[in-house]
Amino acid sequence: MTGELYDLIIIGAGPAGMTAAVYCLRKGLRTLILSKDIGGQANWTTLVENYMGFLEISGPELMQRFEEQLKKEKATVVIDEAVNLEAQAGVFAVTGKTTGAHRARAVIVASGKRPKKLGVKGEEEFKGKGVSYCSTCDAPLFREAVVAVAGGGNSGVQAVLDLLANEARQIYLISDEELTADQVLAEKIIDHPKVRLYQHSLVTEIHGEQMIAAVSVQSRKTGLVERLPVEGIFVEIGLEPNSDFLQALRKNDLGEVVIDCECRTSLPGVFAAGDVTNIPEKQIIVACGEGAKAAIKAWTYLTQK
Amino acid sequence: MAEVTVYTTSTCPWCTRLKDFLRAEGISFHEVDVGKDPAAAKRMVELTGQRSVPVTTIGEQIIIGYDPDGIKELLG
Repeated sequence: MTGELYDLIIIGAGPAGMTAAVYCLRKGLRTLILSKDIGGQANWTTLVENYMGFLEISGPELMQRFEEQLKKEKATVVIDEAVNLEAQAGVFAVTGKTTGAHRARAVIVASGKRPKKLGVKGEEEFKGKGVSYCSTCDAPLFREAVVAVAGGGNSGVQAVLDLLANEARQIYLISDEELTADQVLAEKIIDHPKVRLYQHSLVTEIHGEQMIAAVSVQSRKTGLVERLPVEGIFVEIGLEPNSDFLQALRKNDLGEVVIDCECRTSLPGVFAAGDVTNIPEKQIIVACGEGAKAAIKAWTYLTQK
Repeated sequence: MAEVTVYTTSTCPWCTRLKDFLRAEGISFHEVDVGKDPAAAKRMVELTGQRSVPVTTIGEQIIIGYDPDGIKELLG
């Protein structure tokens, strides 16, 4: 392992990571940002209406503004996925999938979350061939189509609304329990003539040849399986943290990194912020605040060490 | 240089990022908004086997999703 010893490595360049970076750079810390992308989950958000200072702005546009601010501070960014974090001889080594090991005296983990998968037969095979995790992107490709949506939360109902806006012919909404979406959203679809609800039901298999042809749906109450002919399925069953590589840190049952009110993890010198942590409010504005906190605490750690 | 075509929808955040990347790299491209043109959407599915955007074709080669490294590699 060679190369520069940084004061700090920030893993992730979503709202938390980029905010942390701006704070650290402005405090003069030699900072490396290691991230598989710029913007993270915020890139998937169509419209943000609760980030102060903007009446409304798209997620990607907001992230471009963040990136401009990062560039102004002359940040060093390496686009790569972190695959390991470990303490070695008094410093931390963060390994990138393609760029190898990077070293620093402290670390801020802000690696965010990713969409959960169904984990059923056919899901991987038909990814991009009818299986989609982005209704914002792909709903326009399902005009006049019969489509399934898995997930009864806000994202699932939003996917149904995206499909309705794009004139899908019929939509099956499959939820493993009662709908959990906010009432204001759920009311828009519950009695819609194009929407059929399958509550307390699970998608058990995705069928097709070149493209999707059907999904199997099993009732959790009766055990009965129904095969629904569809051209696509949008998977909106929530998110899981990008924390698989963080073996060195304490995590909760959801795999989120456990932090205290000063963004400290179980490993001294490693801080964490944003959606990868056990902070329950998964909001852009909260992630930014946590990123700023983590940066200030990391600076304090480094200057008092 | 092989012709670069990007299949997009207007609401797709990754399509926006992909186009920004191509412009920043000075790579000229032709955009097809398959959300507005059902016939083009059908052609894209037949050509690429994908019902998802973004999809980029570089000559005969197909790149699925937002993959700047893949595009750079193919364009040398």
